[in-house]
Amino acid sequence: MPPREGVYGMLAEFNTPSELVHATHEARLAGYRRMECYTPYPVEEAAEALHFHKTRVPLVCLLGGLMGVTTAFLMESWIAAISYPLNIAGRPLFSWPAFIIPAYEWTILFSGLSAAFGMIALNGLPQLYHPVFNAPNFRNGATTDKFFLCLEAADPKFSLADTRAFLEKFPAVSVVEVDH
Amino acid sequence: MASVHEQHEHAHHGPRSLPASLMTPPAVAAWRTRLLLVSAVFTVASLLFFVWTHEGRNHLLRAYLHGYMTCFGFAGGGLAFLMLQYVSGGKWGLLIRRPLEAMTRTLPLVAIMFLPIGLLMKHLYQWALYPTVQAELNARAHHWVTDEQALTAIDKIAMLSPVSVWIQSIVIFAILLTFMFLLNRWSVERDADPAAGTERSYDRWRTRFENLSGPGIFLYVVLLTAGSIDWIKSLDVTWYSSIYGLQFLVGQGYSVLALGILTVILLSRYEPMKTLLRTTEQHDLGKLAFAFTMLNIYLTFAEFLIIWSGNVPDEIPWYLNRIRGGWWVICTLDVACHWLIPFCLLLSRDIKRNKAKMIVLTCFMLFARCVDMFWLIEPNFRDAAANLHLAGNIGILAYITVPIAVISFWGWYFLGQLQLRPLVNTNDPHLEEMLEPEHAH
Repeated sequence: MPPREGVYGMLAEFNTPSELVHATHEARLAGYRRMECYTPYPVEEAAEALHFHKTRVPLVCLLGGLMGVTTAFLMESWIAAISYPLNIAGRPLFSWPAFIIPAYEWTILFSGLSAAFGMIALNGLPQLYHPVFNAPNFRNGATTDKFFLCLEAADPKFSLADTRAFLEKFPAVSVVEVDH
Repeated sequence: MASVHEQHEHAHHGPRSLPASLMTPPAVAAWRTRLLLVSAVFTVASLLFFVWTHEGRNHLLRAYLHGYMTCFGFAGGGLAFLMLQYVSGGKWGLLIRRPLEAMTRTLPLVAIMFLPIGLLMKHLYQWALYPTVQAELNARAHHWVTDEQALTAIDKIAMLSPVSVWIQSIVIFAILLTFMFLLNRWSVERDADPAAGTERSYDRWRTRFENLSGPGIFLYVVLLTAGSIDWIKSLDVTWYSSIYGLQFLVGQGYSVLALGILTVILLSRYEPMKTLLRTTEQHDLGKLAFAFTMLNIYLTFAEFLIIWSGNVPDEIPWYLNRIRGGWWVICTLDVACHWLIPFCLLLSRDIKRNKAKMIVLTCFMLFARCVDMFWLIEPNFRDAAANLHLAGNIGILAYITVPIAVISFWGWYFLGQLQLRPLVNTNDPHLEEMLEPEHAH
């Protein structure tokens, strides 16, 4: 894929989480939707201001679990009843009570792994390149003590001049353009 | 959108204030009247329909045992859960503490409710009908009991004889009532502490409750094991299962949580619970209920699997009596109601956080407990073992009317106890956190 060019978004840097949350909330009210907060630790209010409530991790986890239970149960049934039938204490070949425990373990295993890897995948990881790192202040502050709001150029409401003016209304330490 | 705006306003306005009155809302009085009416109607219906025939009277007593054991589950399980939340801590515990205390304070009523069972023992339990070794041998000679029943009953006579069961029941209630008395009195003293609200007071009471509750939980498990064997399991004297007490423990946790969640959600239509119940804590309680749903099927299925694998003639008849002859329907219904449906629904985060849906679900869970109790009790009797039938056996419907009457009466008493105290323990550091606005996670 050829490298993308142009502006990725407008990045505002804040000193406190409350300023960030306030700005995010205002940006949403102003009609911006494609935006993201970057904080050194989880700030629940920021997620709330972004209206970021739902993820698809539970669904992935559920599907994983269903896959686990089906796979294990069918596999056990096939082995015990068709592929390698053994007479065990005269019980029926298809002795489902005995199959439950391994099927249950596979459910846990599959749903656990799907939740973990599904979360990583839905987060878009591993990601080797992200444009916000082009901003030098982001590289220095994002994992220590600064709070960032990035309004992305993909948003229909985005315009270089207006968005910059909008962000400069807030007590931001800096507002910088981020290139792809 | 409206709710989102509200949350934002809360976030800007900081912590909410505690309502002026912490007592139960007046609506509770109306709920009590309704419960009493239901109880009266179903008591009359039970007596009208079932008292005329011999099998009807038998079923009345069996169904009463069902109602008694369910109510004991609320009272005793409430005590266990009260102690559990003191040991574990957490805001969910503070939220349901007063409802749990009210459940424990019904223990005197439950102790009195034991009297009919204690007095009419010989109509329920074979070991009470033939209380001595001599009587058992005599019954065996006349083929009133099987060889196995007679020999096992003689073997177990130290535990299962009328005198012994009476002593055990008295000891169980004496100890539970002592714990109930101390925990409830301290809870009031805690709020009245002159140093209330200080770090020192918090620590003093926390330590005090923890020191009583830790040993109390252990003791409860032992007492419940004895009680569940005496009152329910010994209906079939030949069977053995060492996990029986624990199964009841988990079942009680299941029903106590369902009732606790139901109570706080219904109360949250009015102040003060309207302010106190946040979605966060409701969600936490829902997760705990989910854990109990899982643990319950885990223990129940483990017992079944072990007995199924062993395939020993001593043990399997208990299951065969509960699977064959039409009981398969009840057995399947039990698994579906008690585990499958609550499990699938409680997986959903949205349902756990939704008040209306949780009301329906918790009511359903309480119903499921009753199905389970029916499945545990009725097949013990010779006329019902491996033979579920309605024809000529109309009395079996007493399992619907009597438990409703008994449980509604218990509910009336429970709500009366709930009215006696403020709905929240104020001298607890968690209260401040519960008044904080919550975040949408």
